Amino acid sequence: MTGTATVHSDYGFVGLILVMTSGLALLAVAAFARAPRRVLDPSQAWAQYRFGYAVYALIFLAFDMEMIFMYPWAVVFTDVGISAFLDMLIFIALLGVGIAYAWGMGGLQWE
Amino acid sequence: MGVIVTAIAVLAALCGGAGLTSGLERLFVRPVWEPGPVHAADLRHPLDLPNADRWLLPAGPVVAFAGTALAMIVVPLGSGLIGRDLGIGAFYVIVVIDFVVLGLALAGWGANVPNTVEACYRIIAQLVAYVVPLGLAYVGVIMMARSLSTVAIVEAQRGLWFIVLQPLGFLLYLVTGLMQSYRAPFLEPFAVSIRGGVLGASGGWSALLWRIALAGVLFLVAAIGAVLYLGGPNGPVLPGWFWMTLKTYALMALMLGLGRLVRPLSTAEMLALSWKILTPVGLLNVLLVGGLILLGVRP
Repeated sequence: MTGTATVHSDYGFVGLILVMTSGLALLAVAAFARAPRRVLDPSQAWAQYRFGYAVYALIFLAFDMEMIFMYPWAVVFTDVGISAFLDMLIFIALLGVGIAYAWGMGGLQWE
Repeated sequence: MGVIVTAIAVLAALCGGAGLTSGLERLFVRPVWEPGPVHAADLRHPLDLPNADRWLLPAGPVVAFAGTALAMIVVPLGSGLIGRDLGIGAFYVIVVIDFVVLGLALAGWGANVPNTVEACYRIIAQLVAYVVPLGLAYVGVIMMARSLSTVAIVEAQRGLWFIVLQPLGFLLYLVTGLMQSYRAPFLEPFAVSIRGGVLGASGGWSALLWRIALAGVLFLVAAIGAVLYLGGPNGPVLPGWFWMTLKTYALMALMLGLGRLVRPLSTAEMLALSWKILTPVGLLNVLLVGGLILLGVRP
């Protein structure tokens, strides 16, 4: 098979699994359609919540993106050798400085 | 025709694996402990929540179940026993397993009850804590396997398992795997104090789907851990599926047992642990593995 055909067949299979899980979910809904129902007390959700990790979430966005760059690098690392290692050393040093800065500024704590 | 059979086999493997997981997990739950994702849920009575969102609440368990089923596609259960060997397998797993988090967040927000909205916030905090160190644990393995394909990762460990070459990465995977599967000590989103979070606001079909998805995510974390560090289906004499099952459940028992040795951590403590210890350790592990490869230590 050519490359494109393989990709189509592979992700067609992923799509098929997605369709079949939806089908199973519908079956589960149908199976319980006639079961006796219970009602939960309708208390309102308008309240104050402790959402103390906003700074963590911001740092996470940056690190998650940077981690994605490591995947293609990791695949070719052995073939490229020492220069790839030095590149990543600088990259990780920058990330380390980022964590140290956030930590020093008091970002790594529940507010 | 063959495609449909393979698809049914993938879903059956997930449901069977999740069933065995529930059985094993019962051995690790005591009445005085926080049950976490095995918190009681009403399987017999579907639930009516008067203020719930019409679409978000039912979408939750379906999205979570779909996430586990999609991840199951690339788990090699033996030679040839795999849904599809995707070229980006390991990366694909990280992405689609997080649909469980999306599902829990959707249902928590959509139920519109204080306890579940609290659970929604906690589940997102859990994601913020585990994704980066978990991803760094994967990177070490990918560097040595030189491929993202799960089959290639297993093949690379034919001589020596990666647990021997990367013990630090394996420890990192144990801790972050427990975070990813919401097992003790990281079970805040399902705490008894918020009545099991999303599980408390489920019933009937949604409770059933949550059970499969939450047991499924632990099963997948253990199975992927076996693929990344324990050589997957490789093993002498006996067939591959036997070794894969044995390694998966042995790793799962190890994780559940170790997790119960520590007191449950609050969300704030978990975030601090992740960003102050696990992420720096993960970066260090990438450099260590790189150094080992340059020194000629490779499978």
